[in-house]
Amino acid sequence: MTGANGALLELGESTATAVAGVLEQLASGGVERGAVAVAGKDSDPFAGVALPAVAAAVSYVHGVTGGNLFVVSVPAALRLALAMMGQEQPAELGDAELGELELSAVSEAANQMLAAAAAATSTVLGESVEIGVPQTRLVASAAEGRELYDNTPHATHVSFSIFGESCRLVQLVPNAFVVRMSRALGDKAGVILDDSTRPSQSGSFDANVLRGVSLRVWAELGRAVPPIGRTVGLQPGSVLELDKGVDDPVDLYVNGRRFATGLLLVVDDGEWAVQIESIEPAAILGSALTEGAI
Amino acid sequence: MARVLVVDDAAFMRKMVSDALAGGGHEIVGEASNGVEALDRFQELRPDVTTLDITMPEKDGLAALKDILAFDPAARIIMCSALGQEAKVLEAIKGGAKDFVVKPFQGDRVLDAVAKALA
Repeated sequence: MTGANGALLELGESTATAVAGVLEQLASGGVERGAVAVAGKDSDPFAGVALPAVAAAVSYVHGVTGGNLFVVSVPAALRLALAMMGQEQPAELGDAELGELELSAVSEAANQMLAAAAAATSTVLGESVEIGVPQTRLVASAAEGRELYDNTPHATHVSFSIFGESCRLVQLVPNAFVVRMSRALGDKAGVILDDSTRPSQSGSFDANVLRGVSLRVWAELGRAVPPIGRTVGLQPGSVLELDKGVDDPVDLYVNGRRFATGLLLVVDDGEWAVQIESIEPAAILGSALTEGAI
Repeated sequence: MARVLVVDDAAFMRKMVSDALAGGGHEIVGEASNGVEALDRFQELRPDVTTLDITMPEKDGLAALKDILAFDPAARIIMCSALGQEAKVLEAIKGGAKDFVVKPFQGDRVLDAVAKALA
């Protein structure tokens, strides 16, 4: 797997996870997710989805460029709309027809799913990423659908089923987005290496080139995801519980990337310290490279 | 019971919010599908409560919030956001919105927000 593919897969996975989380809320108990894959140059965004299908195109409007295409077979759109209205799923859809309300439901689902995905991408990039208003239409053929499919150099796709009916998410990723993801992930493929910093074919690396390079390392005790209402209401004296126990290892980060875990200690002079339990040296190197430190 | 203006670019969400509020005994006095329409309809209808989507064409919910509050500083506005729009929700609350609901939501949550806005 190349570095660019690695960044694409990370991006695709992050997006798919966020999308699946929202989709499961919209169609509780009826969602199955496939694996994320990097799309080939001539791949068909509608592959595996019965046509005609509903296609909702959602572009990024802030933070990054590119967009997403949520392609939903007509039966899946009908079932998704029923689920979003809180109605029972019939065994057979019979002569149910796709109307404006169902198209709007797919559009709204795409909006909610990709807003969550944009937030996940924001976390990786460390910068706000926002989506625009979905553009939704019924497409009768793959050729018609390609009009919605920007000629971006990279794409990922992941398939979902909604109560057994097919749909697919295609993420359209320009080169600049890949580079930024690569940098954010500490992926060496996202930066230009010269011969002095390129790992040898045996995979070894001359650590001497890192001498004198400083990196900012921080430790994370734990996380909390309180409802925003509670967060807004936090006051001095409020207690926010984290997701880790007293004896759990803490995570160490460099440049936004976890590279080690360890035990929190208090050393003789009363300062905090971390005793390393596990470490991934490649992550440190990747961060040094993306920082442009060497 | 309140007279409510429902603003969302998605017809589906306007129906969901309207049905939930009507089921709770509120009167839906009007709907709008973008921020520009929202101000027009607010000035025309003077609702007790307005539900306002954040991501909309023409003019988004945050801009519409400012416009409506500039027209009527006492306007009771509830923001409807998607997951991941926490920063915008905070901006809206700081800007004068009374409450917010995060989509996807249950009808009861919208009724609670309206009750809170009216309190």
